[in-house]
Amino acid sequence: MNRRDGLLAVLLVAGCAPVDRGPKFRPAGATTPRDGGTLRFAVKDQVRTLDPTIANDEVALYVLHPLFDTLIDFDTSSDFSPTDGEIDPRLTIVPRLAESVEVSPDGLVYTFTLRPDIRFSDGVPITAAHFKYSLERTLRTHDSPFSAYLGDIEGAHDVIAGTATTCRGITALDAHRLVIKLSQVNPALLGILTMPFATPQRAEYVSAAGDQLRRQPDATGPFMLERWDEGDRIVLKRNPHYVKPTRAHLDKIEMLENVASDTQFQMFERAELDAAEKLAAPDYLFVMNEPAWKPYVHRSTVMNSVGSRMNIQVAPFDKRLVRQALNYALDKSHTQRLLNGTTVPAHGILPPGMFGRDPGLEPYPHDVVKARALLAEAGYPHGFDVEYVTTNDEETEKVALSLQSDLAEVGVRIHLTVMSYATWITAIGKPSGPPFSFMTWAADFPDPSAFLDPLFHSQPNKDGSSNNSFYANPALDALLDAARQEPDRAKREALYRRAEQILHDDAPWIWDYHRVTTEVTQPYVAGYEPHPIWERDYTSAWLDLGPDGAPVAR
Amino acid sequence: MVGAVLVAALVAVAVLAPVLSAKNPLASDVEHGLSELGAPLPPSGEAVLGTDQLGRDVWARVVAGAGASLSIATIATLIALVLGLSIGLIAGYAGGAIDNALMRLADLVLAFPFLLLVILLAALFREANLASSNAPVYLTLGAVGWMTMARVIRGKTQVLARSEMIMAARAIGASPGRIVVRHILPNVAGVVIVVTALGFAQNLLAESVLSYLGLGPPPPAPTWGRMLYEGRAYYRIAPHLVLVPGAAILLAVIGFNLLGEGLRDAADAKVQR
Repeated sequence: MNRRDGLLAVLLVAGCAPVDRGPKFRPAGATTPRDGGTLRFAVKDQVRTLDPTIANDEVALYVLHPLFDTLIDFDTSSDFSPTDGEIDPRLTIVPRLAESVEVSPDGLVYTFTLRPDIRFSDGVPITAAHFKYSLERTLRTHDSPFSAYLGDIEGAHDVIAGTATTCRGITALDAHRLVIKLSQVNPALLGILTMPFATPQRAEYVSAAGDQLRRQPDATGPFMLERWDEGDRIVLKRNPHYVKPTRAHLDKIEMLENVASDTQFQMFERAELDAAEKLAAPDYLFVMNEPAWKPYVHRSTVMNSVGSRMNIQVAPFDKRLVRQALNYALDKSHTQRLLNGTTVPAHGILPPGMFGRDPGLEPYPHDVVKARALLAEAGYPHGFDVEYVTTNDEETEKVALSLQSDLAEVGVRIHLTVMSYATWITAIGKPSGPPFSFMTWAADFPDPSAFLDPLFHSQPNKDGSSNNSFYANPALDALLDAARQEPDRAKREALYRRAEQILHDDAPWIWDYHRVTTEVTQPYVAGYEPHPIWERDYTSAWLDLGPDGAPVAR
Repeated sequence: MVGAVLVAALVAVAVLAPVLSAKNPLASDVEHGLSELGAPLPPSGEAVLGTDQLGRDVWARVVAGAGASLSIATIATLIALVLGLSIGLIAGYAGGAIDNALMRLADLVLAFPFLLLVILLAALFREANLASSNAPVYLTLGAVGWMTMARVIRGKTQVLARSEMIMAARAIGASPGRIVVRHILPNVAGVVIVVTALGFAQNLLAESVLSYLGLGPPPPAPTWGRMLYEGRAYYRIAPHLVLVPGAAILLAVIGFNLLGEGLRDAADAKVQR
């Protein structure tokens, strides 16, 4: 064999050798949670601030939730499958720093009793006054995105306006009892108080930290900050003074910043990361096709809805029959397959597991004959031509393409215009803007009002209307107003179900799907499921490592 | 010879695209073109070269891409030809300050790293509201592709301008325009053809590069560069999405380069004779 043939042979062997593409490690086999180890993950952006009163970006949430406990939290210990019909148990409110919550019969007064043994990460006891200070600080801080959420507390607007420094609706009865009085009923309040901004804070700590507060979080949760190399990594370590040490099994949580999504997956495969989420389609298909990886793929619904919104004030979308016809024309199984099965077909705006969602409603079936008949009845027997505006990423492109070919079947020819996210969101917000477009909505907190009010109320009472289908229906407005004020959960649910029915029939959107997030973890990561609100909540995760603290090779 | 055959085959494929594939290169067949989980299908009897991530037929796209890639390269080469030829002729014939200015301009453009310049120009042309057509691509490639042509033509023209033939023309009172068009142009035609063929190959490759960078013709136009760009992430689960357009680009560029070299050899032979 001469030299050239030898080289060729090497190349051939290298090209044909079976490559093991599965995980490098396996679980050690522990059946009860094991303490210790560092869990490493990465995000593609960087955290701007760790001040809970201000921080509002998604990546910050991944570290804020372990750092800051609040009076109450969402249940992070249950499991839920996105295809289940009932309410997601992970959206149930459970006590954290509070022992109990009492709500007055009129729904206006909330009395929280604190656990007696709660402490900041330096051992100083937490009292009711710390909660009062924190909420008032939110109201006083102009660049806090959360003050609007507290607007229903008595006297809150005076503090926001600057005419008062303390809020008369928030009282610390004694060290362990906090009372919040509302000026009008707001059933979403408990959900709002789970957000990290509602964590107790110390006035003296805040003033001593000054402008360094963004780097010096006053931790109250199961973890505290060890170090933050800005733009590179944030390292959290276990909080020794945390009231329930069983909630934190990991020694450390390490979040790398500014790592591109495809790099994250490569690092994950080399076992340099313990979890990789929001997998790109090729990576998701790869792990789903590898039997050794598949058991470690997690899927979870998030609080969102995706579809195509129509400006119902503008022809041809002013005709309900047309909007219904387009809903019948869409074959949701196409989008589902194009998006690799990471969707749940939608019958309306509320995602699966959400309180108020009517599990009895069925998505519009794919029915071309019916769609054609409805179009003819509406006066468009030959369909029509229309522009469709969308954004420039892989998912939206797939949604648009599948819509385009489905609508073509009933004679509706759509011409795609692709815009950047910023241009798109501005364009579709104007009544004179493009009447037909891609639309997606994610809720700030898990309450039906966070979907229905901003999107479909003709006069949303909160700032920043997002009603870009320009839907105006007095009957729906009345239902939403009543539901917002209704303290009785069962009655409230009935009101939202009626609202869902109206919107389903009126069809201001082509209801398409609810997105499912995907995440893959190393086999030794245990006790973890992505959470619908906190998403990457590793507070109760543990690592099933070998006796020497190293992962066990497969 | 090999070059000529490859180029002829390429042109034939581009022209006969509708005959070669019955399938629509833009139509995604979600039900039959994708696996249960939405993965691209490998080559099979149904789809000779498999399907892509949207369930489109790869053979239909690569065939349609021949036309798209060729037409863009043709227009870009024509723009570069017109620019390079005029600048070369003017600089070479006028000489002096004009020559100096034009050649320094060429140096300036050449001094820029090719990729950076192309990215900048493509982005600028896109901003200028041409985004939904192929115009940004060929304008960009035309704008950066004229220098070689201009330099070669200028050299030739300078030599010719001092020749007895031109002096005679000048002496009998022919205008500069007439001299350039009637006497110089025919004498540089051979060089022009060779440089054009080589420039064509370069433009073909550059179009793929631009498409790969996401600055090519807007989707869903099936150019080879875009196919490569869209398929690259799938290299592990569907390697055909990278191999097929990659091979197409390779063959086309080799074809035009060989053709250019063949033409040059032919021209050289003529000169030697």
